[in-house]
Amino acid sequence: MSGLLIKNAFVIDPISGVKGEIMDIAICDGKIVEEAPRDAEIIDAKGHLTLPGGIDSHSHVCGTKVNFGRYMSPEDMRAGRTARKGVMHVTSGYSVPTTFGNSYRYSTMGYTTVLEGAMAPLEARHTHEEFTATPHQDMLANTLFDGNWSVMEAVREKDVKRAAAVVAWTLSAVKGFAIKLTNPGGTEAWGWGRDMSTIHDVVPNFEVTPAEIIGTMIRANELLNLPHSVHLHCNNLGVPGNYRTTLDTISLVPDLNKDRQSLYLTHVQFHSYGGTTWRDICSKSEDITRTINSTPHVVMDMGQIMFGRTTTMTADGPMEFKLYMLHHNKWSNHDVELETGSGIIPVYYSRKSLVNCVMWAIGLELALLTKNPWQCLLSTDSPNGAPFIKYPEIIGLLMSRRFRENERKMIDPRTEHFVPLFAIDRELEWYDIAVMTRAGQAKALGITRIGKGYLTPGAEADVAIYPIKPGEIDPSVEYQQVVAGFSRTLYTIKRGRVVARDGEVVVEGANSTIWSKSNVPAEYDMGSDPEFTRKFEQYYTVRMRNYPVQEVYLPRGKMIASEAFL
Amino acid sequence: MRVILKTRPRAKPKIPIEAEEIIPQNFLRKNDIRVYEGNKERALDDLFFVTYEGPAVSPDQVEIVLTGDTGVIKRVGEYMNAGRIIIEGDIGMHCGNFMSAGEILIRGNADAWLGREMRGGHILCEGNSGHYCAAGYRGEKRGMRGGIVEVRGNSGDFTAEYLSGGEVIIHGDCGDLPGVEMRGGTLVIGGDCSRPCGNMTGGTCMIFGEAHKFLPTFRKNGTDDIVYAGKHYLMNLFRGDVANRGKGTLMVRQ
Ligand SMILES: [Zn+2]
Repeated sequence: MSGLLIKNAFVIDPISGVKGEIMDIAICDGKIVEEAPRDAEIIDAKGHLTLPGGIDSHSHVCGTKVNFGRYMSPEDMRAGRTARKGVMHVTSGYSVPTTFGNSYRYSTMGYTTVLEGAMAPLEARHTHEEFTATPHQDMLANTLFDGNWSVMEAVREKDVKRAAAVVAWTLSAVKGFAIKLTNPGGTEAWGWGRDMSTIHDVVPNFEVTPAEIIGTMIRANELLNLPHSVHLHCNNLGVPGNYRTTLDTISLVPDLNKDRQSLYLTHVQFHSYGGTTWRDICSKSEDITRTINSTPHVVMDMGQIMFGRTTTMTADGPMEFKLYMLHHNKWSNHDVELETGSGIIPVYYSRKSLVNCVMWAIGLELALLTKNPWQCLLSTDSPNGAPFIKYPEIIGLLMSRRFRENERKMIDPRTEHFVPLFAIDRELEWYDIAVMTRAGQAKALGITRIGKGYLTPGAEADVAIYPIKPGEIDPSVEYQQVVAGFSRTLYTIKRGRVVARDGEVVVEGANSTIWSKSNVPAEYDMGSDPEFTRKFEQYYTVRMRNYPVQEVYLPRGKMIASEAFL
Repeated sequence: MRVILKTRPRAKPKIPIEAEEIIPQNFLRKNDIRVYEGNKERALDDLFFVTYEGPAVSPDQVEIVLTGDTGVIKRVGEYMNAGRIIIEGDIGMHCGNFMSAGEILIRGNADAWLGREMRGGHILCEGNSGHYCAAGYRGEKRGMRGGIVEVRGNSGDFTAEYLSGGEVIIHGDCGDLPGVEMRGGTLVIGGDCSRPCGNMTGGTCMIFGEAHKFLPTFRKNGTDDIVYAGKHYLMNLFRGDVANRGKGTLMVRQ
């Protein structure tokens, strides 16, 4: 038995209803327990802020698309280099670091679980190999179904059960965690030279609309009883006036699950633009948050952008093409047969660009105007809005009006005419931040069932202790201390073991990959469905038997099983 | 002050030496200069016989002379901003990276990336230079931005790739794709080359020899009688690269 006792911790644990109490946390064999073993090692937290390990519910850190970002930007790989030190491998890269770079940087910020936002099923092996090399975080993979031919055929036939069956087979074959729809139908349509401008446009050859795909998949997801809801990157990302598409989409969502949301909207900042062109683009965060506030069964994440250099990467190929036409810099475009696509370009978000300043303000507004912090989670869609190492700065901005005012002096002065940000007085509290960076994610992803996101007995012992004494600092004034504090933990504890200390990684780490398996009745097993297998063998360039990811790719796989209602 | 660095005999002379600290400003206060031999950190004295002659009060009075087996030494003159470096023989890759002022004289040949992303100053190479002379490093969108690189001999492929300012003069031949992605500055090629200036968007390139495999994406724009280095030449004028909506000028001797 290995034990650990954290004494005098200032704990905020929203899921357990702890809102800032000095208490001890006992750990035994990787779990939180009532009482620590007698020989337990003791850590004195000295009243420092202690939270469940951070959870990122949308980030791009592993997989073919991320790797392409690495090799198309050697100049990015030359930035952010760190030398080998103790157990730490060499790392490099700033916006798209090496896997160890991602893992160490997340770990020193107190993050212990990360969801990869988009895994193309056909390319799942690569993602899982990189997961194994991200040793300090438990990893989950959103699996792309936005242009899946079998799914779209089922949607056309209005056969929710068949759509669910395709999802169940695919998730279990590629060891994915949840359904991700990226610009549903849009990438497929673009592959045929069409552009979709609303969710009611028809995808060529399939005669289905994005609205039908979204609606069917939400229902299929609940039929499969999956831990997470459908995870949606709305249509029309980055297009002025796209807030209408976003509102249209929210209006489609039925409330089907009593434990969590029925739809997760990702990087909503990129989907909250008013105006008609880049010249008159303005913030529609008020319209979006008003709807979110009255739609408790929808959860979103911010997709905040931060000024500076980064790389954008998404399965939304057409959107990246539009960005390329704007920047004329390097661009990668990729088609994944019968499933999805992707695009990548490097970008620079500038304080001198009015458009970028408006985008920056919108992200913050979404978080400040959403009344319930459980409904707006902190993210940058890393690295699309900014690399995740910017999270602490975002926390600072959300907690301090003064910080926002200081930024206002440095950005394009016209910004205030296009955004409501500077009229908002709200400053978030420690509790809100704890919800928006771990508890909210755990609940939205449905992983509290495996002990994630809280600190009461039975939970996984993932803990982050930050060098912040909440009673002694005023975040609205001393925001720089907040930023510094959230940038490096005193201790990051993963499964009961100290993995990082004072910004340095101290162990090799051994993570697990969490995936979902929904058990379907035999007649819904696509593995023996004649129609599905025939089309698979006919259209894919791989044989169906070679498609599933073998167990060897998940050395520490952790399956969440569920029973489908089919 | 003159600093003479003569290489010491080494057990494994092929292992490259990385010496980005060999720049005049570092010798002014006789800093503890460290260099790498392969992946091992060494003191300057371990690899060189070092002699100092005379005084100096500012870095522009410092002259470094490198002699011996210098062809394996990389990154000499990186971020140099004053003074003079004379290399009696050949020099390794990345000589004069990012230099902003001062002078480098190479009596032998230079390896690849000579004057990479240089901002100012003067490099003269009396021998040949390798590939990517005066270019930007992998992934960089701007190469040399200012200063002068002059090569008396030939230069390899991708000479002045992403050139965006300053002047590159190659007296001999260039390899494939000189001036590719060029966006400013001047590239002068005394001899022959192939496929010059693909994707160029700005700047001027003059070729006094023959341009082989000339790209079809340049628009003929008449001829011009120019004076270069005191001599008259009749040049064919081109604009391009039109495939990239470029507004560069390419001149090839008739
Ligand atoms: Zn994303």
